[in-house]
Amino acid sequence: MKVAIYWGCKIPTAQYAYEMSLRQVFPHLDIELVDLKGASCCGGPVRNINTSAAMYLSARNLALASQTSLDDLLVPCNECHFMLSETKHRITNDEEMRKKIEELLREEGLTYSDNIKIWHVIDLLHDVVGIDTIKAKVKKPLKGLKFVVHPGCQIIRPSDIGRVDSAENPKKLDALVEAVGAETLDYSEKLDCCGAALLYSHEDAALSLAGSKLKAVQDYGVDGFVDTCPYCHIMYDTRQKEAATTVGGKLSLSVLYYTQLLGLALEIEQEKLGLHLNQSFKPEKFGL
Amino acid sequence: MSLIDLMTMAKPNKELQKKILSGLWEVHPGECFQCMRCTSGCTSLKLLELKPHEIILLVNSGFVEEIVSSDIIWACASCLKCRERCPQKASPYDIIVALRNLAVEREVKIPEAYMKAVAQILEIGLIQQIQTVTSREMQHFNREKLGLPKIQYADDKFKAIFMKALGG
Repeated sequence: MKVAIYWGCKIPTAQYAYEMSLRQVFPHLDIELVDLKGASCCGGPVRNINTSAAMYLSARNLALASQTSLDDLLVPCNECHFMLSETKHRITNDEEMRKKIEELLREEGLTYSDNIKIWHVIDLLHDVVGIDTIKAKVKKPLKGLKFVVHPGCQIIRPSDIGRVDSAENPKKLDALVEAVGAETLDYSEKLDCCGAALLYSHEDAALSLAGSKLKAVQDYGVDGFVDTCPYCHIMYDTRQKEAATTVGGKLSLSVLYYTQLLGLALEIEQEKLGLHLNQSFKPEKFGL
Repeated sequence: MSLIDLMTMAKPNKELQKKILSGLWEVHPGECFQCMRCTSGCTSLKLLELKPHEIILLVNSGFVEEIVSSDIIWACASCLKCRERCPQKASPYDIIVALRNLAVEREVKIPEAYMKAVAQILEIGLIQQIQTVTSREMQHFNREKLGLPKIQYADDKFKAIFMKALGG
């Protein structure tokens, strides 16, 4: 299966571990990723300034996706996934917005098409590849390890535009972690937000939100924390030390992208999965 | 400025209220009956005292100028819980986005980081430049060293169209 991939901004400019692990893992599952040419920001942050300009940006990337003549687009960032899905929903149903955006796209010779199906890592793996296939591909089951999962906010809400999992009781990421032989813990803070969007205006509050969730999870005594969004990962991994200062304690919790965890179970080398770039990862805990 | 300070001299402004309401799509603040489901689940309630049901009430009462000028509209974490859970499709999230857009239009002082992101997109198409990152062992890595393919920044054509989309 060939799938177009839209990387967004944060992944290709800084969150390299996610990009590396995605590029490594998908070929093992017989999925070929095709990069979009000339992709730009999804418009997520722009939405706060000018909603229609933000939707133009999303529609532009969807138009670039249809140029690949593939029907499926993988969007591994939660914010981009929301922005692209929201834009698709809006221009499919709002003629006025559609006209405005199509006019702008035409200036670059681009055409918007409704056909593109937008996927996230979680639903592409869970619904298309399937749990059984993943189980069958695992070479080294991660037995004896226990994780909590953090699906994040913007891929599960709002359900009226079609999201990747249940808005109030998401389970797919748990199932994917269990598919590689590890255990997951259901926990009351699961739906708590990472706070990344507040980095723009209230950095202390943002770090405090991340810190309090990490502290709660650490107290459960799990081996690690699994996420699937570059923004959440910045809060929980890249900035874990700063988040720790907000909860007045030491945080020492391994945070991994799901694709890194899956990569380990597929016996892909740590370095190829970018695990050396995770600031919080403790290889010794994973027997590495 | 805080909302309480702004509200001491507040006057309803029907024109601005109309402007906010006419820009909404599939969102119905007029249907809000103040059940407070939004506020009870709000990510920013505890730390930043954001009360989404109050924002809706103020819009419905015409105090748009006061909220647009208040810092409180920048306290939303965009977690979308209020939009998901609102039984009336009043979606405080969408109202807050519309208020933020209006604040920009009226040239109210807004958090600098948003304008920086927009300026960066105008420059290169992305919200930030390609970074060099540091591993746990304090070694520096860039895309090339990690074996990742080259990426291209946006061209002038894109910049001109995006500028037009912004209304500039």
